[in-house]
Amino acid sequence: MGNKQTIFTDEQLDAYQDCTFFTRKEILRLHSRYHELAPHLVPMDYTNEPDCKLPLALIVDMPELKENPFRNRIVESFSEDGMGNLSFNEFVDMFSVLSEMAPRELKAIYAFKIYDYNVDNYLCKEDLEKTLNKLTKEELTPEEVELVCEKAIEEADLDGDNKLSYADFENMITRAPDFLSTFHIRI
Amino acid sequence: MTIEQQRQGLAFSGSGHPTDQESLRFRRVSSRMSTQIYHEPNSSTSLAQEEEQSGSEPTLELRNTVFPMALKKAARQVQQMQVPAQFNGGSWKQKRIKFVRQFKSNVREFLYFFSLWGKTLQKIGGRNLVYASKQPQRLRPRWQTLLSLTGNFGGGVQSYFIFLRFLVILNFVSFLLIAGFVLIPSIVFRSVGIKPESSKADVSSECLKYDPNPQGLVVFYEFFLDLLSGTGFMEYSYLFYGYYNNSVIVTSLVGSHFSYNIPLAYLLTAVFYFAFCLICIIVRMGKAARVAVTTGGSDVRSYSMIVFTGWDYGCLGSKATKLKQRNIYYRLQVDLEEERLKKHAASLTLCNKVTLHSLRVLMFFVAVGLIVATFLAIARATTFSQENSHVPGILGLFYTYLPSIVITLGNFLVPLLCDQIALLEKYPPSATVVVALLRAVVLRLVSLGILLFTLWKQIMCHDSRDKCNLCHYNHEDYQCWETSVGQEMYKLTLFDLLVSIALLVLVEFPRRMVVDHWSCKLTQWVGRQEFVVPSNVLGLVYGQTVVWTGALFCPLLPLINTVKFVILFYCKKITLFYNCRPALRTFRSTSSAIFFLAVLLFGWILALVVMIYSVAVIHPSFACGPFRSFFRMWKIVPESFSTLPEGARDFLFFIGSQAFSIPLFAISCVFMCYFIALASIYGKSVAMLRAQLKLAGQDKQFLVKQIEKMKPLSPQHNEGEQD
Repeated sequence: MGNKQTIFTDEQLDAYQDCTFFTRKEILRLHSRYHELAPHLVPMDYTNEPDCKLPLALIVDMPELKENPFRNRIVESFSEDGMGNLSFNEFVDMFSVLSEMAPRELKAIYAFKIYDYNVDNYLCKEDLEKTLNKLTKEELTPEEVELVCEKAIEEADLDGDNKLSYADFENMITRAPDFLSTFHIRI
Repeated sequence: MTIEQQRQGLAFSGSGHPTDQESLRFRRVSSRMSTQIYHEPNSSTSLAQEEEQSGSEPTLELRNTVFPMALKKAARQVQQMQVPAQFNGGSWKQKRIKFVRQFKSNVREFLYFFSLWGKTLQKIGGRNLVYASKQPQRLRPRWQTLLSLTGNFGGGVQSYFIFLRFLVILNFVSFLLIAGFVLIPSIVFRSVGIKPESSKADVSSECLKYDPNPQGLVVFYEFFLDLLSGTGFMEYSYLFYGYYNNSVIVTSLVGSHFSYNIPLAYLLTAVFYFAFCLICIIVRMGKAARVAVTTGGSDVRSYSMIVFTGWDYGCLGSKATKLKQRNIYYRLQVDLEEERLKKHAASLTLCNKVTLHSLRVLMFFVAVGLIVATFLAIARATTFSQENSHVPGILGLFYTYLPSIVITLGNFLVPLLCDQIALLEKYPPSATVVVALLRAVVLRLVSLGILLFTLWKQIMCHDSRDKCNLCHYNHEDYQCWETSVGQEMYKLTLFDLLVSIALLVLVEFPRRMVVDHWSCKLTQWVGRQEFVVPSNVLGLVYGQTVVWTGALFCPLLPLINTVKFVILFYCKKITLFYNCRPALRTFRSTSSAIFFLAVLLFGWILALVVMIYSVAVIHPSFACGPFRSFFRMWKIVPESFSTLPEGARDFLFFIGSQAFSIPLFAISCVFMCYFIALASIYGKSVAMLRAQLKLAGQDKQFLVKQIEKMKPLSPQHNEGEQD
């Protein structure tokens, strides 16, 4: 590359390129976005891998995530501590999975994590109810919510345990023609 | 290990289908990471298989794994350290694979740049280009506001524009075909000075009269009238059939053997044009059908689809978000409404059912009556227009355009009335949509058929037999009947375009301005325009059918249609972005793609019937055109056939004979049976696998219950037994 940048070493950029779906330019742009969120917290020099985490409240303030009803769950699924504090590694990981080039299986795994509110590796009725309420901004009546959740589980549940395991979810996702394009945030 | 960890292991090992062996392996002492690395290749099958097939060890595609970033980086370091220990070819292969992948993505981006209207289609559908993100920082906020303003119009609207693009390319390629084989040779031969041969048939000189050139002084506004109705200076030009000559060139100079038969070229080009369009439509239908089959139809599993894949994560801006939420709410309401209606219908008494069904039958007859009334109006208008075609001036122009006006009015009013009827019929929502579409399709295409039928009646003088005795067709009114038919098609195409532009300028823009700047109850109730996909697509199908019907008589019609569709694309795009609000009711694009192609195919069949009839049944004009000396247009083929060399003739006879066609038919039946059997086997294996999944889940539950049962019996023995 022509321009000299001092944020990352070349080795680090290569590692990021291999581990995500971004090019060097995009990774540098991501870093500037990350830095914008909290200029006094995030160092400009990442060569010695500083341990800097941004809290959930700052991340969900980004314009790409601000209006998303699942923003909290998205950030929590990608954070290691489960509380939504993202380091730069996790930040890049999040947008890499949500980018256009991530394969369907990877997106399905993370979508499952996002919709699993109680983190028990199953999508039970309460998870679906919360998802539905977030989707429709609680405009459906409770009976309608109940009916829709029941029908959704009925449609997708293959092993008959009244909740969706990852296998059921993935099987349903393979039949969704536009899952890849809707589960995509452009940054 | 606790039950929780077991369940976690069972639910989350890489492949997602936990078996007993995997869960056992999972609980071994070896590090969790290494077992997960071992399992990961199962989940990223597509890319990992690429690596495996290349013969190297199953190297890991790190970006497809589910680890946190730190673990990925560590794994990468491990991989890098392993590389020098491997055979040198291994790392070279990895680099080559990476290079190929990068090259492919670059080529794809480059080709995308050249795809017609790619950016516009992406913007309409709401999906964003990958390389558009490389814009400099200062431009990005403005681009984002544009996106939030326009919102996401959805897949349905995008499918309309994709369909339009397909038709533009189809028309342009067909024009190239026609230009190459008919137009350019005609121009060349005419410029060289080859005169047309007069008809050798034994007919009176009455039939040979053809005088399209205007007499005397031409008033200047006549120019515009002629431009709009295809008469006057436009009639005797390359635009219409009548100008082409029946020149057959055979030169046998020393060394070169050039021969060109214009009538044969004309006919065969028309045949190949139809065949080419058919192949394009079928290929496209195949692609759409493949998508529809893999997604199993959009009706099934609608609730879970909406809940899990309904939200578009790329939605930006509060307005677009609210709209999306209302959209999802509306879709759920539609499904819930259908459930309610089903329950209601099941609970109706016999008396109610009888009244409902009789009401539906009555409304069906009312709709049929409306449609038949439109047909009668079109027939009457066509006859009237043909009788009064020689009236000069603006009134004459009105009379010539009368059929087009009546067709357009009918296509506008009758669907509106049918919508009102549908309110009384109370079908479930999905059935209402289908019924309305079917009615609109029948109306559009059959009205065109009625127009052509009326024209044919006049040309073959069904009403007044005496006019046709001399020349086998109505030579008094139609000295060159092919040109007249071509003119009708030309007028229909032109009128369609003019109406679209007029609607845009006179109705849609003012409507938006009124709604935006003058707020009262009425304007709010009317609201901004919605882009209604089905009626727009039917308009496109109608326009394309007109072009197919008229291509034999007006060879430049595909070119005119290309220009018309390009103008239409930009007009519709402008109206979409400025005048329309994003629709609350989204249109399902996957199943409708097949439906629109099927309707297009139906239009193609209609045009084919017209072509076959003109070529094989009606006598060509004596006074004009490439077929003036033939009894039927088709006769040129047997005549040229007899000039073929002996070998080719025998070969073609053999292909047409029974000795070849019956075995061919038998073999194609065998192939068809094979494919049907294959398809049914795949369907059965899918059902079987699904049942197996169910069984595996039940087995898992049974085993978990057994483990729980055994636990209180002997807590010390547990570890030993399970290991």
